[in-house]
Amino acid sequence: MRIAISYPPIENELGQKAMVSQNRNVQFFKKPTYLLPVIHAQAATALVENGHDVRWDDGNAQLKSFDQWFQDLVDWAPDVVVFESTTPVMKFYWRLCDKLKSCLPKSTIVMTGYHSMRQPEETIRNSAVDVVLRSSNIDFVLPRLVRFIEKNLFWRMSCDIEGLTISLGDGEVRSTGNFIQVEPLDDTPLVDRNLIQWKNYAYENGNFLQTPGTYATSVIRDCMFGKCTFCRYNGPDLSFSMMSVQRSLDEYERLIKGYGVREIFDDSGVWYRGKEAREFARGIIERGLHKSDCYFGFNTRFEYLDEDTIKLLGEANFRFVLLGFEAADDETLTRLNKGYQMEHVERCLTWLTKYGLHPHLTIMVGYYWQTQEQLDLTVETVRKLMFRGLARTLQVTICTPLDYTPYHQECTDKGVLLTDDYDDHDMSKVIVKTPIPHDEYYKAIRKIYGISVHPRFLLRQLRFLLTFRRREWQFLFVYGRRALRRVRQHVYNLTQAREQLG
Amino acid sequence: MKSYKVLSNRQIGEATFVLRVERPSDTIKAGQCFSVGTRQLGINREYSMYSSSYEPYLEFLIRRVPDGLVSSTLSELRQGDEVEVGGPYGDFCLDSHSIGATHFVFIASGTGVAPFHSFVRTFPELSYHLYYGVRYESDLVDVGDYTSSSITLCVSRASSSPERVTHRLEKESLNPDGVYYLCGNRQMITDVVSLLRRRGIPGGRIYMETFF
Repeated sequence: MRIAISYPPIENELGQKAMVSQNRNVQFFKKPTYLLPVIHAQAATALVENGHDVRWDDGNAQLKSFDQWFQDLVDWAPDVVVFESTTPVMKFYWRLCDKLKSCLPKSTIVMTGYHSMRQPEETIRNSAVDVVLRSSNIDFVLPRLVRFIEKNLFWRMSCDIEGLTISLGDGEVRSTGNFIQVEPLDDTPLVDRNLIQWKNYAYENGNFLQTPGTYATSVIRDCMFGKCTFCRYNGPDLSFSMMSVQRSLDEYERLIKGYGVREIFDDSGVWYRGKEAREFARGIIERGLHKSDCYFGFNTRFEYLDEDTIKLLGEANFRFVLLGFEAADDETLTRLNKGYQMEHVERCLTWLTKYGLHPHLTIMVGYYWQTQEQLDLTVETVRKLMFRGLARTLQVTICTPLDYTPYHQECTDKGVLLTDDYDDHDMSKVIVKTPIPHDEYYKAIRKIYGISVHPRFLLRQLRFLLTFRRREWQFLFVYGRRALRRVRQHVYNLTQAREQLG
Repeated sequence: MKSYKVLSNRQIGEATFVLRVERPSDTIKAGQCFSVGTRQLGINREYSMYSSSYEPYLEFLIRRVPDGLVSSTLSELRQGDEVEVGGPYGDFCLDSHSIGATHFVFIASGTGVAPFHSFVRTFPELSYHLYYGVRYESDLVDVGDYTSSSITLCVSRASSSPERVTHRLEKESLNPDGVYYLCGNRQMITDVVSLLRRRGIPGGRIYMETFF
């Protein structure tokens, strides 16, 4: 069968492009960053291995205009088209599916993603979508579905693969029951780098300290903690699974020796910890990959990595470590199920910087309960951490209730959600009732970003740079320029963009 | 995370222990888990509650993992020592409306029995059957707390009749109307879910908590 896994280029009225970002939610940026959709890439690889003709069709990364992307897809006339939904562009996808169906009436349109999987009937009702996958394990479910469609003319009525909502026409749907996610990650293929044209994703990505970089096939599916209330990777339909250390090491070796990558980032919600983290770091060292001028990075949580493990990661050439620093006050941390303590945050950051790692903080503001005092504490704490050199870079986002997360449910139950328009969920504005004016949160974001251009911080960074080997200045300059661009874009989104869009 | 006093530390076998600590004042549901660590370590791990939801203390059933910093440190704690506890988290819980009307099948490996012990202690009227798998007989914990007709023990490295929990389930006729709860290591969970699917148990009646 001919199968297209497609990401249309989506532009808003300001000419900003929709980019999949934190928690696989969409944000609009003028200058895009291209994040590889790893699970869909694994699904594409699995389909190729099953003998299908697969088109990896990322219109953004392939720098196409919408019209060009659409025409190319129609000309290719796939049997199956697969999209990934996310809340702020859901309405766009519904219109797109209708338009595509009118051009390709025989094609089966499959919708995946964290929005539609929680409200499948809505998508079927509002668009010409044929099937909604209610699983984040696209790489396991999609090949099964395609095989079934290929062999069964009346698949809509007879398909018994769990976790599907199938359109029967005229708004009628058929559900195949809840999908239970427990799949051994060692059974899904590693990403075929040539298929997905890896170089399209190798340069414009803020998580890369040097390029070309790439995302590893994630070692953890969803999250091993999985209980943070604001996060997509939380819910009874999600259950974490883990890939073996040796298999991941094999992929790193292949990426470095076969593709010449200089940075590998694993975007698992939370990467290995404890003995797996140590085994991985030792494996990198034993294979000599730590001397290959390639940096490694990952996401983790505070209070997950001890000093000995961090030391080993440093020796193995790990650098970029992304940590969620959602707030500095106990009430917020408790309500979000984060549960870390400032004492341990400082200790963890001290260990990371001591062994040469590069902590990047992801900060959030705008919770529906967040008072001025709590907000100020977060700003002040970030300032202290940055000025003391305990964090190297940061990003700040507005906490947007991602649909059907516990935080979203809580906002709905308490009647604090100010909009039910999906377009408003693009993380560009506060969309909940708050105890202080929304402008205070935007001011706080500007203050936090202001820290990264404060002379005191820049001096600290300069001292840090002096500890590096000379040839690494170039990448730090390039990285610094990209980081500043990201700051400018976030600040633009919170000021001019909001004013222009009204 | 807050500090609480250790009330006792009961050693079971060579590597397993039950750590009893002061109970946080929060409302706790049987089956939930907590982050547990010590101030000195600066790191923590999640453990399911072993005690019932109404007891005046919290208990955790913990296996000391070789090369595992947190479990080794916790194993050495004694009465009066301090431990940091955060939570409760999670929704690996029983629907209170279905108790009495539903037959539950619990499948555990090792210390994955903890939430089931919590269920059974919390809801004495529970209709259940527990399949409890361990490596050695010495790893079995508090077997007397379960109704003898409601428990099947599987010891994979027993001197006589060794049996894995998954192999035992292959031979059993499983209740098609039961609600299945699984807790334990990844391999056991994967194997059992696959088995349940083959036996026609729908995904909506399978709940799991995977250890990592």
